[in-house]
Formats: sequence, structure tokens, C-alpha cells
Amino acid sequence: MDKTPFWNPLLETMDLEKLKNLQLKKFKRIFAWTYDRSRFHRSLYDRAGIRPEDIRSFEDIRHVPKVEKSMMRDVQRKDPFPYGDALCVPLEEVSEFRQTSGTTGQPVYQADTWQDWEWWSECWAYILWAQGYRPSDRMFIPFGYNVFVAFWAGHYAAEKIGCEVVPGGVLDTQARILKIQELRATAMMATPTYVLGMADTAKTKMNIDPTELGIRRITCAGEPGASIPSTKERMQNAWNARVFDHAGATEIGAWSFECECQPGGMHVNDAFFLVEIEDIDTGEIIDVPGRRGKMVITAFDRMAQPCVRFDAKDIIEWDPKPCACGRTFRLIKGGVVGRADDITKVKGVLLAPSAIEEVVRGIEGLGNEYEVVVDKLGDIDRIKLKVELIPGQEDRTQAIEAELKDQLRLKTNLGYRIEFYDHGRLPRYDVKARRFRDMRKK
Amino acid sequence: MDANVEKISIEIEKLKSSIERLEDVRQDFPALDLNLKRIMAGVKMLELNFVDPLEEGPG
Repeated sequence: MDKTPFWNPLLETMDLEKLKNLQLKKFKRIFAWTYDRSRFHRSLYDRAGIRPEDIRSFEDIRHVPKVEKSMMRDVQRKDPFPYGDALCVPLEEVSEFRQTSGTTGQPVYQADTWQDWEWWSECWAYILWAQGYRPSDRMFIPFGYNVFVAFWAGHYAAEKIGCEVVPGGVLDTQARILKIQELRATAMMATPTYVLGMADTAKTKMNIDPTELGIRRITCAGEPGASIPSTKERMQNAWNARVFDHAGATEIGAWSFECECQPGGMHVNDAFFLVEIEDIDTGEIIDVPGRRGKMVITAFDRMAQPCVRFDAKDIIEWDPKPCACGRTFRLIKGGVVGRADDITKVKGVLLAPSAIEEVVRGIEGLGNEYEVVVDKLGDIDRIKLKVELIPGQEDRTQAIEAELKDQLRLKTNLGYRIEFYDHGRLPRYDVKARRFRDMRKK
Repeated sequence: MDANVEKISIEIEKLKSSIERLEDVRQDFPALDLNLKRIMAGVKMLELNFVDPLEEGPG
């Protein structure tokens, strides 16, 4: 059983036409459930004149109004408290409370029943099995086990697939590294920021080489990074481990994963989620590969607080190539390449912050941390990049600056002021980093 | 694979029926009621994996 690459080959290698039929059937089911039980959603759909019996095709689905995060904020903090009108089950059936991180505004609460929680771990089981974790793994999970969903479901999925799970909450970074060393953990899950941060702490503060700790697989989530080639390479080199990406969200679920083939993108779990890509300017649904757009997503089986055509704002594009792993689950090329609300115009040029990360982490001699500051001098936008030099690279400053400016011009079409800092001077983050500061909005 | 999956699907439905047959008595025993709730959630995952895909057509 351990040798099969699929958690469930029936779904993961399903013929595409059957998969589409399954998706349509499941969308109809969750739409009817939501319409019948959520006053918020019913009101939205009634205003649009759409009822469950109107859904007969994917074209019909496209007419179902989208739900934005801001709408969820508006319905919550009311009865049934604290979830409000979007709750589809009696309050006493809610067994799990989580909330979003609040990076884009007031946190949104998420209710899950025990069945939803089981569903979360089932989605993650698909991820972990596809990434090669097996019952022989000892999985160390260095996260806070708090109100953010983060790696909770990863923990339960690791248990489900038979791993031994070591919860690394509460411990500080050095204690976590020592625990990994003591127990000879083989696997880990963390944000890319923390993966690099732990490696840095091990090397610079503890004289421990992370490559010798025995971690062989790492799953990243929570922020982009593991699908940015230069960041992935840094993490893999730092730990001598394979690093895999996963994208999920509190309001959505664990919808995508990179498989063991590492095809330069992530599979969408098409059996559990419907992913649509919407053109940012026209709103038209993009079915063809090669065009980026904004993700609109439905979770078919999440019942307490459903996710139906949620406007996720993740920027993705379909990959035209099938994956060597044999899954018929579609690939999104390059993973989640940015967020619609992160992309901004600087000097009239559209800029995705992930492009800057790709450049910085691809240059030898620079540390992992960086910061981008955009401000205005009069009417003119300015952009400044702060980077750290790795100790011993000081005499290469000019060459590094030249390479940085060239690569940034190539990748982002912008000129930057570069500021160099000694290693350790820029902010460190425990979980998710906030490296892009747009002072023009203040 | 199809024949095996049909067999799996039948057994899953039997599991579900078994739990449902305890509906009348479960309210008397919290240990029964709440453990069955958890088991039912697991059975639902089996349904998502093996029963849903077998049903023909888009519904």
C-alpha cells in the first residue's frame, strides 16, 4: 500500500469527462444545501434570480454570484453568534472555531462541524500522500496551534496517513531545532519564512547544520515561496530536503498541492473543489492555459459555513501539460503566482511582489530577508529594495548591486534604489512575512 | 477497479445503515451518540471517496 503514489486512485486518475460530471453533480448538491440553509447566501442568490434548479451546466454555475471576504465580515458577529447568517448548521453542531489571519482586514470567523474537520484532514491526506509522506515518517510540526487553521489539518492528516506526529507548539525556535535533532524527525511542515528562519537560527546561533538533522521532506503553506524556484532551492539546500508547496485558505480548505514529480506547479484537488479562473479585467472565465486570472473557488463538501464561488483573489493560470505523476487533477502553472490585492502599479507598471522575491533569492551573496518600500516624492513613485549581505560578501557589494538591478529590471521592468544591510538587521518573521510596504496608501 | 469499487461502495452503505439503525437508542448514551457522530464523519469521507464517483451522470 505504501508504494502507491495515490491516496485514492479512483479520484486522482479519474477520466476527465467523469471528473467534470462529478464536479457538476457536487456543485449542484452544495449549492442546494447552501441555498436552503444560509439566509445570507439565499438572499444573495434570490437577488440574482438564481435557484438550485437553475444549475444544469458549468455555464449556469458562472452566473452564481460570487462571495467576497468583505461580505463575510459584514454578516458575522451577529446571531447565531459569532457566525451570523452564513451558518448552515445548528450552532451546537459547530465543533471547531478558526479565524483568518487578518492581513487584509478584520479577521473572518470560520465554523466547522466535526465532519468538516474530518474533511479538512481528508483533503490534507491527499496532499501528504502525493508528496511522499508515509507511515514511517516522524513529522515535526513547529506551529502555534492557535486560532489560525494553519497546520491543524496537516497534523490530523499526518496522523490519518499513519505518520508519528510531534507537535512543536509553544517551544521557541532553538528548542524546536533541538527536538528535531533529539527525535530524528524526518519530516516537517511550516511557512517558507519559518523554514528559512529555522535554518538560519540553527546555523548562526546554534552551530548546527540543518542538512544533518535528517529532515527529508518539508511541506510549505501559508504564503508563497515554495513555488518560487529560487526560494524553493534555498529551502531545499538549507535542509537537504525536498520541499513541497500547498495552497489553502481558512475560508476555502486545502485545495491544491505540489506532487512528488514537482512539475513546476500544483494540482488542484478537482474532486473536492471547483476552481474557476476569472479574467481580472473582463470577468470572463478562462478555460485555456497560458492566461493568468483571479481564482473563484467552490468547496463541494464543506457544510457548516460553505465556500461557494468564493472570490479568492489568488492569481493562477492553467498549465497545458499533463503531469508525469499520472494524476488527472489539473495543474496550475507556477502555483499561486500572486494575489490580486498585492499586485500594484508602481510608476505605471504592474508589479507582483513575488517577482522581486524570485530575483533576491536567486542571487548568491544575499541573505533570505528583504524588504520593499514604495513611496512618492511629489507625484513620482519610488521603489526601494532593502537586502542583507551574507557575512563575507562585503567586497562583492558592487557586483551584487549591478546584478540585482539588472535582474529586477528584466523581471519587473522597474528601476530600484538598493540599500544593503548587515545580516540580521532586517525584520524577522515567525510565520508569515510582510515584506512589501506601500507607503503611498498611508 | 470498477468491480472492487462497487463492492466497497456497498459495504460503505451497510456501515452507514448500521449506524442509522442505532438512531433510536443513541440519545440515551452520550458515549454512543457522540462516538457515532465521529464514526459517521469518517463514513462520510468514505462516501466522498468511493460512493460519489460511482453514481452516474451529473445529477
